[in-house]
Amino acid sequence: EPISNNPQQKHSVSAQEKGLGAGGSVSGNGRPNTAAGCGGGGGGLSGGLTQPAGWQSLLSFTILFLAWLAGFSSRLFAVIRFESIIHEFDPWFNYRSTHHLSTNGFYEFLNWFDERAWYPLGRIVGGTVYPGLMVTAGLIHYLLNLLNVTVHIRDVCVFLAPIFSGLTAISTFLLTRELWNQGAGLLAACFIAIVPGYISRSVAGSFDNEGIAIFALQFTYYLWVKSVKTGSVFWTIGCCLSYFYMVSAWGGYVFIINLIPLHVFVLLLMQRYSRRLYIAYSTFYIVGLVLSMQIPFVGFQPIRTSEHMAAAGVFALLQAYAFLQYLKDRLTKQEFQTLFFLGVSLAAGVVFLTVIYLTYTGETAATMATQHHSLAQHMPSLYFSPLPLINPIKPVILNLDTERLFDPVLSAFAVYFAGVMVRLMLTLTPVVCMLSAIAFSSVFEHYLGDDMKRENPPAEDSSDEDDKRNSGNLYDKAGKVRKHVSEQDRPEEGLGPNIKSIVTMLMLMLLMMFAVHCTWVTSNAYSSPSVVLASYNHDGSRNILDDFREAYYWLRQNTDEHARVMSWWDYGYQIAGMANRTTLVDNNTWNNSHIALVGKAMSSNESAAYEIMKSLDVDYVLIIFGGVIGYSGDDINKFLWMVRIAEGEHPKDIRESDYFTPQGEFRVDKAGSPTLLNCLMYKMSYYRFGEMQLDFRTPPGFDRTRNAEIGNKDIRLKHLEEAFTSEHWLVRIYRVKKQENRQALDHKLRNVAAKQKYTSKKTAKRKRGYVKNKLVLKKGKKLNKKSV
Amino acid sequence: LWRATQPSMCFWLLRAAAADGLVNEEVKRTVDLSTHLAKISAEILLANQGGSPVQSFTLALEPELGPHLAYVGASVKGEEEEDESLELKETAVHGRSGTFFQVQLPSALAAGGKLRVKVETVLTHVLRPFPSHITQAERQLVVFQGNHYLYSPYPTRSQSTRVRLASKTVESYTKLGNPSKNDEVIEYGPFKDVAPFSQDTMKIHYENNAPFLTISSITRTIEVSHWGNIAVEETIDLRHTGAYLKGPFSRYDYQRQSDSGISSVKSFKTILPASAQDVYYRDEIGNISTSHLQVLEDSVEVEVRPRFPLFGGWKTHYIIGYNLPSYEYLYTLGDQYALKMRLIDHVYDDQVIDHMTVKVILPEGARNVHLDTPYVIDRSPDQLHYTYLDTFGRPVLVATKNNLVEQHIQDMVVHYTFNKILMLQEPLLVVGAFYILFFTVIIYVRLDFSITKDPAAEVRMKVASITEQVLTLVNKRLGLYRQMDEVVNRYKQSRDTGALNSGRKTLEAEHRTLTNDIAALQARLKAEGSDLAEKVGEIQKLDGQVKELVNQSCQESERLVAGKVKKETYITSEKTLAGKRQELISRIDSLLDAL
Repeated sequence: EPISNNPQQKHSVSAQEKGLGAGGSVSGNGRPNTAAGCGGGGGGLSGGLTQPAGWQSLLSFTILFLAWLAGFSSRLFAVIRFESIIHEFDPWFNYRSTHHLSTNGFYEFLNWFDERAWYPLGRIVGGTVYPGLMVTAGLIHYLLNLLNVTVHIRDVCVFLAPIFSGLTAISTFLLTRELWNQGAGLLAACFIAIVPGYISRSVAGSFDNEGIAIFALQFTYYLWVKSVKTGSVFWTIGCCLSYFYMVSAWGGYVFIINLIPLHVFVLLLMQRYSRRLYIAYSTFYIVGLVLSMQIPFVGFQPIRTSEHMAAAGVFALLQAYAFLQYLKDRLTKQEFQTLFFLGVSLAAGVVFLTVIYLTYTGETAATMATQHHSLAQHMPSLYFSPLPLINPIKPVILNLDTERLFDPVLSAFAVYFAGVMVRLMLTLTPVVCMLSAIAFSSVFEHYLGDDMKRENPPAEDSSDEDDKRNSGNLYDKAGKVRKHVSEQDRPEEGLGPNIKSIVTMLMLMLLMMFAVHCTWVTSNAYSSPSVVLASYNHDGSRNILDDFREAYYWLRQNTDEHARVMSWWDYGYQIAGMANRTTLVDNNTWNNSHIALVGKAMSSNESAAYEIMKSLDVDYVLIIFGGVIGYSGDDINKFLWMVRIAEGEHPKDIRESDYFTPQGEFRVDKAGSPTLLNCLMYKMSYYRFGEMQLDFRTPPGFDRTRNAEIGNKDIRLKHLEEAFTSEHWLVRIYRVKKQENRQALDHKLRNVAAKQKYTSKKTAKRKRGYVKNKLVLKKGKKLNKKSV
Repeated sequence: LWRATQPSMCFWLLRAAAADGLVNEEVKRTVDLSTHLAKISAEILLANQGGSPVQSFTLALEPELGPHLAYVGASVKGEEEEDESLELKETAVHGRSGTFFQVQLPSALAAGGKLRVKVETVLTHVLRPFPSHITQAERQLVVFQGNHYLYSPYPTRSQSTRVRLASKTVESYTKLGNPSKNDEVIEYGPFKDVAPFSQDTMKIHYENNAPFLTISSITRTIEVSHWGNIAVEETIDLRHTGAYLKGPFSRYDYQRQSDSGISSVKSFKTILPASAQDVYYRDEIGNISTSHLQVLEDSVEVEVRPRFPLFGGWKTHYIIGYNLPSYEYLYTLGDQYALKMRLIDHVYDDQVIDHMTVKVILPEGARNVHLDTPYVIDRSPDQLHYTYLDTFGRPVLVATKNNLVEQHIQDMVVHYTFNKILMLQEPLLVVGAFYILFFTVIIYVRLDFSITKDPAAEVRMKVASITEQVLTLVNKRLGLYRQMDEVVNRYKQSRDTGALNSGRKTLEAEHRTLTNDIAALQARLKAEGSDLAEKVGEIQKLDGQVKELVNQSCQESERLVAGKVKKETYITSEKTLAGKRQELISRIDSLLDAL
């Protein structure tokens, strides 16, 4: 067991040092401790706290508790600045389903058919979500209510991610302790508690899968390392359960099911096969597989899809390898066996690589990559911010143990994934934290104080008695003799106290700057609910723009309970969550043709759109318009995506080129293309905006977002009417008028032979949801972030 | 719509009234229609023309207006400007439709006596928007249908009616008796000698842009805590009951034209008690950020601005809540408690509440609950409420009432008894919970749950505990030497041989027991098969040498005191002894550390 390298510990009084020596023997370490106590002093001080274990655990506990506290509090910016509210888009769906779960019970939730989404198709929610998040929040809420702690489910949801960040810190501590030592573990826990890459997905209110998944991820790693170390089925089953939790929480479980086989594979390649590894992996694979298939959304994917094939391949390989090992014990022909082994491992390696190749360079990777690169993230790309700080100090790991090998494998894998998909930077974050913690820990081990030296006496057992005595005698005086010893121990270092203190100071400065940086990034980049906007006046006072909720609440209160609201899919979850109304499309973009239909309605002219809206039973149309306040994430800026998706499904009716000027520009002013200036989205956005003069310096109808005077100021709507516009015009809702009554016919309709129905000549690819070169939406895949 | 009196019935009632002998000598009616309420007040000069004194008189309300009646009150105009309110009891008059109240007079009205009575009536939802649907640009017109005459079971000698409207714009009004109109006031009458139960439709169609806000339902929850706080929360469903908005709502017009949507409601003021703290105003989706709070001297004013302006037919829903210090509202005498609070509080001026539910959550353990209300209110069965640290639930009083107006803002009193010892229940619960938690942990860490025994680990632990003991004992023993040193030093100064000897004796005795103990431990270590036993043996050996040295230095000092050695020699020998001892002790220490 490595001894803790906490600075505080080193500066503890001699009596404790004495205790520390005893502790070494208690833990069965038997490491000789040259830092003898000072001549029989402190005989009576052998209480609990003089025990090293006591101090260590108290310190660790305190540090972990403080890390939890710091992590929790630094995630509360949004709650303090705004309120306890669910953020963004996806969390609203999670919140809504959690609410459903908590009011109707677990089985109702699993069988929930949500008729309020994807009108008229509906959505089977229970089978299309990772239920871990909702079940966790629901369970916490249930338990609290059982204890008569009357907490609203919303508050549970809002504070779930910050609380789980503490658990993540603890599991990171456990993992790093397993991989390296306790000191590095504590540092890693502190890092992960405040690192922006993780905070970005786990601020209070960001009620998303990642919030709990990172905890599950780290904890699964920890249990895996533990089970490989011990070869005990107990730990492996624990690992499987943790993996099960991870599968239930996030699609990122694929990361684990590829990483662990990779670890095993690398171990096999390095001839590190052991019975413990065999037990751990065989148990993990089988139990983990069966457990993961219990999640309805995952179902039979683990045995069908290519992402999971690497695990199966390694499982087979491991069995073969174990069998060979068994044979080796029985047979004597060494050469034959080596040959056999080589052949088999080569074959298996080829299979493994093929699977890897198919999985990540083939269709899937391309899909993922295009999908996620093309979609702009709402969060600024500060994901990278912690990296430059930490990366250069990654230690070179030379002496690799079985479990320590896990670290480089993990980091390499995480870096690869993060490269494929920016969002998976999240999985890289804990790795970076652990590596940097290890780096800092070993740097401190080398540079921090003199006492360090006697903690790590390399091969001093053989050194003569005098030396020991000297150091023991003069412990209190430190200084000269100590230095002499260290010089003897490590002649290559030759560090003066100045260098030590400078390096230590630098490191501490770096850590301090890191903490400041993390807080700054968290406070500035990740702590906006994005449902409530805030602007600041010149005098620093704050102006809250609550237009989203204003409009959603209007919908909730003043429209029919079963009214159907058409909007672009970004706002689907929010409308369902806040307005509680039926939506046509939402952020679970599983049906591309439906989205394309909405896109087509938005990009057609009003009468064509009316036909579509009539066929879809649309009662209200909701759009986001930022022209008044200069909000750039509005529907006109996203409009090209609607056009493109509509074109992908309806190439005969919608052509992207029609919406550009002959010069190929997308403009909303007079020079804009007439198709654009007369399409439904344009008309709804700018209806009556032409009369509005925002500023004396600008003409009426000046769009602040696009800095242009709009081209069509005289907009008249025939089939729609303005139903509601929020205070700053951010949200505009239009009512679709019912058809006017017609005169009854006084004669019978003429009988006309029915025409041959037009049959589409779409290719198979197009039918599956092909959008011209841009966006491929796959069934069942969740498209997370927004376009343009 | 309704026709006036029927002669035959009138006759019957005339007789009934004549039995009382009461006559409305002079009636001044004021119909205030300037808000969305109809506030009708009448000053009646009652005259007893009968033969006997009268204890009470009857108030009547037209059958058409009866269901809209929110409040009726009668008071006697006192001499010193003090109004004395009278007690009302609902009653029925045989053969007559309508709503009737029997009003108890403060003192019997003697025959021939006269009394001036003021009657106040508030009617809700009697102003009907007409047209019922208007566009955003239009103004709201309403129709009021009432009675030109005072509806009374007694004949009226003289009556005048003055109607106050919300604006000058009047579309039409009934012209009985050629009324005079002056700005927003229409004056009818005086009408002479009106028969009892006379009705004649007064119909006024006029512009009224006052906010037609109605609270369709309000749930007021008052949670009393004996820890010093009363939490009040009101859940309000608000609706604009004026003319429905027809067609689009244009934000542009609403922002740019001041008279656009003139009948809509943008905001209103709610007055909370002066001691209200931690006010919150929110709904299902979070805080309503458009509100403002102003703390005044005698009240806290909340400018409630719903998320969106309320047009005709639009509704909203919100929650407003605050905390009050309990010392202002909770009175106690021994185990008796009384909570005196407003049954309903101000929401907006001229408020109309269609349905109200009041819930009073009393502390857990409150008994003998009794509710005193200023007016009749329906009690529902009591409920139980569970919140933080509750075990058997808090009693909840539930009461409902329909159709309330501002006049209903009155105090209620809840009496209950509460055993003060129950205050300890919650802290004890917390203490107990923590106790159980820690106790469980303490038990847990001392239990071994492994299903297989690891003998090596067990031995290791045993050895560790023995070593621990050895360590303590050895340290103690080393401590003895230092004590001895002190004894010797003292001896050198005091030259008290007795003290030295006794000190040496105790040293010997304690040293022997300690050495024996250590030896016993050493034997146990050996029995466990640990190689540490040898080290302990070595320590013992070294310790013997140290002991020797101590004894030597002791003797040396004796000799010094006895003058057998010179001081210099003593010092040098002492030095060597000390050096040797130091060396031995450090060796023991290093051995100890190696343990």
